[in-house]
Amino acid sequence: MSLERLRFAWWSRLLPSGDGHGRLLATVLGAAVFAYIAWKIAQSPDQAVQFAFNGLSVGAVYALLAMGFTIVYSTVWFFDLYYGAAAAIGAYGVFYLRSQDGFGGQDYTNPYVTAMLAAVTAGVVAWALYETFFHRLRPRYGRRVLYAAGGLLAVGAGAYMGLVLSITDSTNVILSPAIGVLVALAAGWAIYRGSRLALPTFNAVPLLILAAIVGIALGGYCGFLIADTPGSKLYLSWGVSCLMAGIVGVGFYRGLYVYMREQARSPLIMLVATLGILLAITAATSIIFESNPRPLPEAFGSAPWTILGSNIKGFNIFAVGVALAGFVFLLFLLRMTSFGKAVRAIGDDEEVSKVVGINTTVIIAIVFFIGAIYAAMAGLLSGHDTAIQPRMGLLLLLKGWIASVVGGIGNLYGAIVGGFALGMVEQFGIWDLAGEWKDVISFMVLILFLSFWPKGLLPRE
Amino acid sequence: MQIDTTAIVDMLRLAQSPREFLRFAKGNLELWANLLIIGWAVVFMVWQGTGFAISVGTVFAIWAILAVSLNLVVGFTGLLSVGHVGFFGLGAYTVAILTSDAAYEQLRTEAIPTFGLPFFAALPVAILFAGLVAVAVGIVFNRFRDDIFVLVSFGFAIIAFNVFLNLRSVTRGAFGIHEIARPEIGTWVFDGELEFLALVVAFLGLVVLISWFIVTSSFGRVLTAIREDEQATEVFGYQVTHFKLAIWVISAMMAGLAGGLFASWTTFIDPNSFILLESMLLVCIVILGGLATIWGSLLGAIVFVLLEEGMRFIPFLPAEYVGQARQVVLGILLVILMLFRPQGLVGRYKL
Repeated sequence: MSLERLRFAWWSRLLPSGDGHGRLLATVLGAAVFAYIAWKIAQSPDQAVQFAFNGLSVGAVYALLAMGFTIVYSTVWFFDLYYGAAAAIGAYGVFYLRSQDGFGGQDYTNPYVTAMLAAVTAGVVAWALYETFFHRLRPRYGRRVLYAAGGLLAVGAGAYMGLVLSITDSTNVILSPAIGVLVALAAGWAIYRGSRLALPTFNAVPLLILAAIVGIALGGYCGFLIADTPGSKLYLSWGVSCLMAGIVGVGFYRGLYVYMREQARSPLIMLVATLGILLAITAATSIIFESNPRPLPEAFGSAPWTILGSNIKGFNIFAVGVALAGFVFLLFLLRMTSFGKAVRAIGDDEEVSKVVGINTTVIIAIVFFIGAIYAAMAGLLSGHDTAIQPRMGLLLLLKGWIASVVGGIGNLYGAIVGGFALGMVEQFGIWDLAGEWKDVISFMVLILFLSFWPKGLLPRE
Repeated sequence: MQIDTTAIVDMLRLAQSPREFLRFAKGNLELWANLLIIGWAVVFMVWQGTGFAISVGTVFAIWAILAVSLNLVVGFTGLLSVGHVGFFGLGAYTVAILTSDAAYEQLRTEAIPTFGLPFFAALPVAILFAGLVAVAVGIVFNRFRDDIFVLVSFGFAIIAFNVFLNLRSVTRGAFGIHEIARPEIGTWVFDGELEFLALVVAFLGLVVLISWFIVTSSFGRVLTAIREDEQATEVFGYQVTHFKLAIWVISAMMAGLAGGLFASWTTFIDPNSFILLESMLLVCIVILGGLATIWGSLLGAIVFVLLEEGMRFIPFLPAEYVGQARQVVLGILLVILMLFRPQGLVGRYKL
């Protein structure tokens, strides 16, 4: 008797898996689903277009979630449930900053929350400065000087974050200098590098001066533009809340996961610990903001457009665009840069990549940052589309999991395909059923996929 | 099966000399956890009086049945299930539908089938139904393990909740089911809180007894072997899938029992009692108390109940936030436990 035979009892042959009739059953199921959808499309094409649009707009959120989830999971190989909390933080961050624009005009800012987030920001900035600059500057400057300078910078960053979070009715004015500086740096760097590449024999100093002048001018203009446009507050608050989710994620990674991963025997320990984090953050969110669903203030493009006789909101098309842009960005990051190489190396074998000289802690921290930003973006997009509530994080997280399982865990192409596929299946599935059943449909999809296609549509190579 | 007498002898010896006791207690976290929690419970009961103890005791007993039954799966077999609340809800809804008063339902527009069975006839049906569903679910879930199992068990909890919420022709959806019968034997109705407490504690004792039999039997040892190394157990010729399915079904039936008692105790249920969050709190209880010990689950349930009651006395905390504040505390406790003591307070197995 072989091991294979021992493993399956007689009744488990009723639900076959593996290569033989499992594949046959799976094929029949898939064909049935396709036939059903084709039949529905043939029945009423107009409605089919409407459902496809709905599927696209839901799928964009799922795709974003799945991409962020996939990059984190395929690097550290445990389920990080903070990821769901990051989605909730993204959505509630916008609510926190902009609640007085929306319904009731009540300002939800809370000094304790602001102070806590500012402290987390200061801590993360301090750690980042230490990791990146301390060892490089140590030969030239004294230890105390470096600590003092870094500490001052970190406290400054924390104080600035606190200022942004506490004075919410003039976010654009407060943020404009930071954006100006960022734009100046980015533009100056781009011009300098570009001109150096184009004119390699030219003297560097005039190019540097030119880049500095143009960069400062551009940065100043952008800063003034933003300070002058009150309408930009909402979109700036998107950026702030994404940043917040990312910083809190890095804080959890550096402050907690690093120690736990040193001693953890199994991924289940990490999973349970992050479950604790998710529970605590969800409950804290419902204490601060009350647990009933709320709308976010109106974003652009909320009027429906009619295309092919069906309605889709401009905002949803924007969401699809964000998902695609996020996909391209991640693809570029993972395939074209040395950072991406390091990420893939850590995903393959963390110990070896440490030996080779990759600073795994920093790389994984950046991965967590990116993942949390994707989750936060998905959370706030879905929040603008429907409504926000403290429990949304868990459901979004699970949908992201499902989408990445459908697409194939650990594969970026799989994540975006899986996200849109899940959105489509969910929306086409509720054609005949009522809309409440869509969660049931997606979990059925999950169980079917795990049973028959455990590697997903596009398996990780 | 034999009772370990050496522990009792040890205890007696320790009780005789304080110095020896101190030496024993030094650095013994389990002992301190036990003493602290039981002491806390006793002080609380004495302070708050009998009526409080009775109402809290019922809540504790229901959570304890759930925790003990979940510990069979999580602690002893090593399958981290977050879908236990589904079986709890199945038991509760079965009892509710079978026993709810027909006269009340006519007042509503949406009528559901009524049977008007007595509680003690409905309870076995509920347990069996939970078990049947568990067989079906278990056959599908048996192939998953570790974190994938967690993921699909999340799925089960969400599917169950959505069925309770949306299958309105049977469960009346968000309205919930009212007028669920209290248990009665002949003409004696378990109306009072004290009588109900006695009933629930009796059932808790039964569950603990059954669990103890399971754990100490050869069946339980196979479960432990599966937890430690599934493939090695297979090689030794055990049908691992059968064992896992069996304990899954037993655990689900106990959860169904708890659900039936819960429905009868509150006499009103709606889907909000069976959300995924409850299940995650249940996992917190089991891990907090201790994996792979029955006593640990009881301890966890005591902590869980006392935390909520204790938080009512925090002066600046509004009453409606007590549940949320407990959730924050539990979440932080879970993180700390995973960091320093992955087996829970008195546990025997590290995740």
